[in-house]
Amino acid sequence: MDVAHLTLMANQIARNFAVQGDERAAAATAEHITLFWDPRMKAAIRAGGGADLSPIAAAALSRLD
Amino acid sequence: MAYEPQADFGTPQVASETRVTLTIDGRSVTVPQGTSLMRAAALTGGSIPKLCASDNLAAFGSCRLCLVEVDGMRGTPASCTTPAAEGMTVHTQTPRLQKLRRGVMELYISDHPLDCLTCSANNDCELQDQAAAVGLRDVRFGYAGENHLGLAADTSNPYFDFDPSKCIACSRCVRACDEVQGTFALTMDGRGFASKISAGQAGDDFLSSECVSCGACVQACPTATLQEKAVKEIGKPERSVITTCAYCGVGCTFRAEMRGEQLVRMVPWKDGKANHGHSCVKGRFAWGYAQHKDRITAPMIRESIDQPWREVSWDEALGFAASRLQSIKAQYGARALGGITSSRCTNEETFLVQKLVRAGFGTNNVDTCARVCHSPTGYGLKTTFGTSAGTQDFDSVEHSDVILVIGANPTDAHPVFASRMKRRLRKGAKLIVIDPRRIDLVRSAHIAAEYHLPLQPGTNVAVLTAMAHVIVTEGLADEAFIRERCDWDEYQDWARFVSDERHSPEVLEAVSRVPAADLRAAARLFATGGNGAIYYGLGVTEHSQGSSTVMAIANLAMATGNVGRPGVGVNPLRGQNNVQGACDMGSFPHELSGYRHISDTATRALFEADWGVTLDPEPGLRIPNMLDAAVDGSFRAIYIQGEDILQSDPNTHHVAAGLKAMDCVIVHDLFLNETANYAHVFLPGSTFLEKTGTFTNAERRIQMVRKVMEPANGMEDWQVTQALANAMGLGWNYTHPSQIMDEVARLTPSFAGVSHARLDEAGSLQWPVNEAHPDGSPIMHEAGFANGKGKFVVTDYVPTDEKTGPRFPLLLTTGRILSHYNVGAQTRRTANTAWHPEDLLEMHPTDAENRGLKSGDWTRLASRTGETTLRLLVTDRVAPGVVYTTFHHPATQANVVTTEFSDWATNCPEYKVTAVQVMASNGPTDWQEDYEALSARSRRIAPEIPAEAAE
Amino acid sequence: MTVVRISDDALALACGADAVAAAFVGAGCTVERVSSWGMHWLEPLVELDGKGFGPAVPGDVAAILNGTSAKAIGIIADHPFIARQQRLTFARAGKTRPLDLADYAATGGWAGLYRARSIGAPAIIAEMSQSGLRGRGGAGFPAGIKWQTVASAPGDRKFIVCNADEGDSGTFADRMLMEGDPFQLIEGMAIAAHAVGAGQGYIYVRSEYPHAIAKLNAAITLAAEIIAPFTIEVRVGAGAYVCGEETSLLNSIEGKRGEVRAKPPLPAHQGLFGQPTVINNVLTLAAVPHILSEGGAVLYDSHGFGRSKGTKPIQLAGNIRHGGVFETPFGITLHDLIYDIGGGTASGRPVKAVQVGGPLGAYIHPDRFDLPFDYEAYAGADALIGHGGVVVFDDTADMGKLARFAMEFCAVESCGKCTPCRIGSTRGVELIDRIRGGATAGGAVESLPQMHNAAKTPRSREADIELLEDLCETMKFGSLCALGGFTPYPVLSALRHWPEDFG
Repeated sequence: MDVAHLTLMANQIARNFAVQGDERAAAATAEHITLFWDPRMKAAIRAGGGADLSPIAAAALSRLD
Repeated sequence: MAYEPQADFGTPQVASETRVTLTIDGRSVTVPQGTSLMRAAALTGGSIPKLCASDNLAAFGSCRLCLVEVDGMRGTPASCTTPAAEGMTVHTQTPRLQKLRRGVMELYISDHPLDCLTCSANNDCELQDQAAAVGLRDVRFGYAGENHLGLAADTSNPYFDFDPSKCIACSRCVRACDEVQGTFALTMDGRGFASKISAGQAGDDFLSSECVSCGACVQACPTATLQEKAVKEIGKPERSVITTCAYCGVGCTFRAEMRGEQLVRMVPWKDGKANHGHSCVKGRFAWGYAQHKDRITAPMIRESIDQPWREVSWDEALGFAASRLQSIKAQYGARALGGITSSRCTNEETFLVQKLVRAGFGTNNVDTCARVCHSPTGYGLKTTFGTSAGTQDFDSVEHSDVILVIGANPTDAHPVFASRMKRRLRKGAKLIVIDPRRIDLVRSAHIAAEYHLPLQPGTNVAVLTAMAHVIVTEGLADEAFIRERCDWDEYQDWARFVSDERHSPEVLEAVSRVPAADLRAAARLFATGGNGAIYYGLGVTEHSQGSSTVMAIANLAMATGNVGRPGVGVNPLRGQNNVQGACDMGSFPHELSGYRHISDTATRALFEADWGVTLDPEPGLRIPNMLDAAVDGSFRAIYIQGEDILQSDPNTHHVAAGLKAMDCVIVHDLFLNETANYAHVFLPGSTFLEKTGTFTNAERRIQMVRKVMEPANGMEDWQVTQALANAMGLGWNYTHPSQIMDEVARLTPSFAGVSHARLDEAGSLQWPVNEAHPDGSPIMHEAGFANGKGKFVVTDYVPTDEKTGPRFPLLLTTGRILSHYNVGAQTRRTANTAWHPEDLLEMHPTDAENRGLKSGDWTRLASRTGETTLRLLVTDRVAPGVVYTTFHHPATQANVVTTEFSDWATNCPEYKVTAVQVMASNGPTDWQEDYEALSARSRRIAPEIPAEAAE
Repeated sequence: MTVVRISDDALALACGADAVAAAFVGAGCTVERVSSWGMHWLEPLVELDGKGFGPAVPGDVAAILNGTSAKAIGIIADHPFIARQQRLTFARAGKTRPLDLADYAATGGWAGLYRARSIGAPAIIAEMSQSGLRGRGGAGFPAGIKWQTVASAPGDRKFIVCNADEGDSGTFADRMLMEGDPFQLIEGMAIAAHAVGAGQGYIYVRSEYPHAIAKLNAAITLAAEIIAPFTIEVRVGAGAYVCGEETSLLNSIEGKRGEVRAKPPLPAHQGLFGQPTVINNVLTLAAVPHILSEGGAVLYDSHGFGRSKGTKPIQLAGNIRHGGVFETPFGITLHDLIYDIGGGTASGRPVKAVQVGGPLGAYIHPDRFDLPFDYEAYAGADALIGHGGVVVFDDTADMGKLARFAMEFCAVESCGKCTPCRIGSTRGVELIDRIRGGATAGGAVESLPQMHNAAKTPRSREADIELLEDLCETMKFGSLCALGGFTPYPVLSALRHWPEDFG
């Protein structure tokens, strides 16, 4: 999977939750990805190294483990 | 059912609590106060002669056949215009009335052709019936007098003719156009004996006039004056079958009137609860595609897409497909397979496709075309209200006082509902339109929006937040409703957020370009104008902020107390006939039928027990993710039923690359569509006329689709899916689609009470249908929200990444037009092309002048993604800086220019905002030429006996 | 300075009043342009110190001024034509300048309105009912009941509509009132508005009345402050007779096709723009200020005959020696009107027939000239009072041709909505031609062998007369409005009394 594209998606989700504050936004982003992403997408973005991830998106991904 | 016209009670039903009892021809009858004598008589089984009256039109009183005598009243009042009163004694058949009626009929026939036997309306003509009823035997005036018998017929409309020499000037067509359709295209021209029906201005014919060819006039005509060409060609129908239209999400029901296996005409069913006897040009007339020469009726396969197609037997095609699927699964695993269900197919068929994918393929990689239209509705309404569906029935609009239309163009895309809405507006409801384009609703005959907020595309959330700002800061929120129905803490969070000065209309005007004063006034009107209803369409969902906008709409409805009763609510106008149903049936990769998440163990266990399989607990791929994964090599086979993703999905190049990368593309469709250019297996599909099942419309109404003719391809679509499943060894044995619905009901709480038998009996049912709502649910959330308390969600305005700049200074937004439907696969194969033969690019005069362009010029439309050419229409319907086009024609390939930006929550593509440049062009782009060549190559079908290869 | 008074009424102008007025100015006189007394055969009528001279031409000026004119008629008010009248609605005729607010106020103007405002809506309607005033447009519906209905009907807005589409043959009282005393009409409308709660009024005037339109517009501007907040607008018709029918008129004001609406709903419930509407004729509304003045209702009710109360401005026209407006209490006979007041025919020949009530009124034979002018008496004789137009014909009139004209008029003016009127009137013309032409052979179509059921033998004259009677019955009982419904009256009356004129 194209990590750059997945990163864009994760950042976009994070950006839309950002208004809730960092902590809640990270939790919501993580939940969203859990509920709606196919396993290979989750695996690919986690394997992608996290470059270009926004702080909230990065925090969210770290919760997926 | 043998052929018999639907009963007509002469004047509309009256809603009144008060009842009056009267005596008609010695029979006592009790009717609501205000009911006409004509209707009251019809209810007793009587029959008063009539010609100008019809029960979907206001009483007119012009034909004077329906005169009656009432004890104590002078003269002979017309029964259609005289209301029943308590204690009245009415006589409808007396020698005096007989003589008067005969006198009137004698006048009619003195100016009417006499060759009934060769008339296309013979035995289907009210004039003929009434002449018989009144016993006319002689026209003593003779036939030498002044008459209209030499008038020329107008045959310009592709579906019906207008023969004024047969016109009796009853005005039913004019009134149907006014009252039922609301277009006001027809008029009575001249006066007295010279009165005649005229379409539009002098010099217009039906085609060139404002007529939208809805056919209400044809249906209303009591003679052969306005009549379907098909009836002239085929003859009078001999039987009829009630079925449901396969075009938009309004879900009109029709009587398919048949002569043998031939469909003669589609007549909207008066008892249909979605359409109440009305229709549009598509549903009534545009069914010719079913017999179009392009239709493929034999299965075809090919090893690779550069080969011509080979017609084969069903067994060979299914065996070929099954073995490819199985070998890919063996080599790459189940997650390399997937499927797409169709919003145009029945619930039963959709359910089977997702079952095939989940239970047969062993993956949750199933998605549906709702992905590209209403997936944000599913997400947004589920989050806020607890269910992924609109809250109202269509009838609800009759009780609305303020109607807010945002990102929808009902008169083009949902015309039959638009007519209902327009009727309510003409009766005094107020209208607010939020749309970048001046859609017809903003100002058309007898309709004018109080406020049109012409926002910059992509700023829906900003505008709705600003409205919320006004409502909250001016103290207009319905706090009693919110405290009772919603989570008060969440409301306060939200209220604080929207009250922030940066969300005021004055600040956001810079973003949305909506004048703050107009926005404030519109917000006040919505909050204080009585019952407020919100209707929205793809102009809301197909954005980066689609889901946020849906939630912002839900917030607005809750904040103003506009949920849970008739006249209010949040109403997504669904694009396709069964997009609601396809979503209900578990077509999304993350959820099973009834919107239950795949990760829920209890739900999965229910299905696993019923299906005898183990289900993957992880969500599958969405369509755009499938294409990404295909390019990536991890997704290799797809079964696509009834959807043309190459034409309908964004960024055509990327879709083509994804399809091209797959090893097995199975297209199950009526035609060799654009996607089929990349397919290896083509399974011929059946039309809605050829199958039995159910569709669920935008108001959650489940309605029967009934087979009116045998499938041209030999199998209904559910049978094809079952055959594919069985070729893969799944051993399915459904013998009738009702068994599939029984399975749905068994596994889905909101469908628990649904069965074909119940639908036959009730006509239609709105889910949820279960123990709590045995007869269904016209209005949702009446007692409380589905998830307990309504949830306010803070929706921040996050602008799209798609930005205009010096290279791409204009914003392109897309939509549809009345005469065409979606990618046009059906409507382009009908005479509807008479109205819209090609896609046009709309541009404001200022922008056109800056570019030296004029209407009709070929232009090149370019975005960062791609470019295409199409012709220009200069119009001030669009604001400066905005251009607009439709995507009905594959030659245009509008989606070559759309981007891959999508809704943050659902990946619904951002069709509505693309930065573009437009310039003069000499002709098609390279892509268009290449694609045309590919298309021609790819659609080759090998001759049945392959010729020896010539060296 | 010598002051002479000359009317600026359209009829006086048509007879040369402007030239006469100019000649008086040339002779050093001050000329006051006043309303017309309504003695048409005397126009232009010159008034000098209460004495009249007419019909005057410019050459008469010197003789009139030096007292030698042979056209002197003496004191105008004492002229028998005037003295025999009971003028309530036309009380100011000949006496005031139409657009002079001072003249109007000095002759009792606005007293009714001021009093109406002080007594309030229920009392206004009570006095209207007490006066017995019935609609002067023709139908004779009690005005008080109509106002009461509108007052109690629920509605966002209410309207007062004045029907000034005076289209009947031989009628001109509306025009004379609008030209000669426009403030009185405005005052009547303002009182009606006060009684029912209307904010806006419309006067629907036929386009053939340019002088009336100009006077009304000027008068509305002058009276705006007095009648405020009520406002009035003049709407001009486009030449359709049927727009004098109240529901067509409403459609026309709304900008729609001038097509009759079925009733119910009555305009009083759903009239203009669907709102409760008082629609009254010019003469009905113009009678209101008098009724609402102190003691007016009782006085009004004291006049009249049977259930026809008050006075009726009758218009004498056609072939008559002394034509004009003659306002009198109900009850007067045609004999008195035509011979005593009208002086018989202008041609000097015997009277053959009189048509009362416009083109849809019956032709009345001299045998019935004893008929009292009264709604019920006329209805009982299959005749019509209508708007009070009396058109006299001498013995040269061809009644068959006039019957044909009635059908033709209906055909030309039919709105086309209902079948009996739309087709019946055209067939009526053809049928009368067939009867009068004598030849009633079966048509070419009917004689075809394919037309198996059609009559093959020529139709007899008796059969055609019967068909005409049947057609009239179909039109009378089947038509939607009075245009088609009353056309049979002139036709059948002509056929009944003068069958010899039908060939």
